[in-house]
Amino acid sequence: MSKKRPYRSKMRILADMMRAIQSEGEEGTGPTKILYAANLSHDRLTQYLEELVEKALVQEVGPDSNNRSYLLTEKGREFLREFLRMERFSEAFGIEI
Amino acid sequence: MQVDPGIIRLDLLFEAVSGIIALMVSYYATKAYRLTGEKRLSDLSTGFLVLSAGMFGRVIGTWYFLVREPTDVISDIVTIAYGVSRIMAYAIFVISTKPTRRETENQDTASVTMLLMATFLVNPSLEIVAILVLVVVVLQAILNYLATRSKFARYVLVGFFLILLSHIMMAQVAAAPGLYLLSQGAQFLGFLSLLVMLYKAGRNV
Repeated sequence: MSKKRPYRSKMRILADMMRAIQSEGEEGTGPTKILYAANLSHDRLTQYLEELVEKALVQEVGPDSNNRSYLLTEKGREFLREFLRMERFSEAFGIEI
Repeated sequence: MQVDPGIIRLDLLFEAVSGIIALMVSYYATKAYRLTGEKRLSDLSTGFLVLSAGMFGRVIGTWYFLVREPTDVISDIVTIAYGVSRIMAYAIFVISTKPTRRETENQDTASVTMLLMATFLVNPSLEIVAILVLVVVVLQAILNYLATRSKFARYVLVGFFLILLSHIMMAQVAAAPGLYLLSQGAQFLGFLSLLVMLYKAGRNV
């Protein structure tokens, strides 16, 4: 059976971005890595990163330098844990989120 | 149907616990809906809420008749309301757990729904209708499990299958009254399977 995802909800895109940031550990991740890991266009990436920072799920490190990177906040880690629980629950019933 | 009062009390205990589990699944589905905005999760929540309301209605109604002298009319109303609420819940499960990955499956589901409606006209027995609707739910749970091979999907499949089994046994109770408690036990185990899924899905990685 095909595993293709024809449509990703906004919540899933945000979660994919946060997973990409989390996978890099304590040192944080640059925008390019997030862009590739979450499979986004540059415009979308900028828009969603602003939203994550605004909601205090992600912290921007060195915003004025060329070495900008992003770290998950404690609120972001808790959000990801909760998202994973809901993802497992939804998929148990065959509902894609 | 003449049933031993001890069996009735055990039946009510099973039903009450199953109702609580249905309420927990409904709460969890609402939580998931609030987080993700996926409407099918809201439908799933409504389905389990209707199911638990029917179960609690039956427990309270039957308990009331154990204390007071039952009248046939009110007893029939409680039985029919319980049966209808379960069929409504299962029909909502058919919609909310419908596979969305392939167009052909949607057509198949539409055909099955038409077949169910036709069967309802031929045989209006609530138990038979519940069995037929649940067959669709179980088939969808099988498709989902085969697609994901997830242990969480397996618990849901086992849960719905046991609930289906309980309805099949209940439909035979007139011929074999001993199946009554077995039917309640199967339903209870089905809801326990859903509870295990909730527990495991809710654990931190």
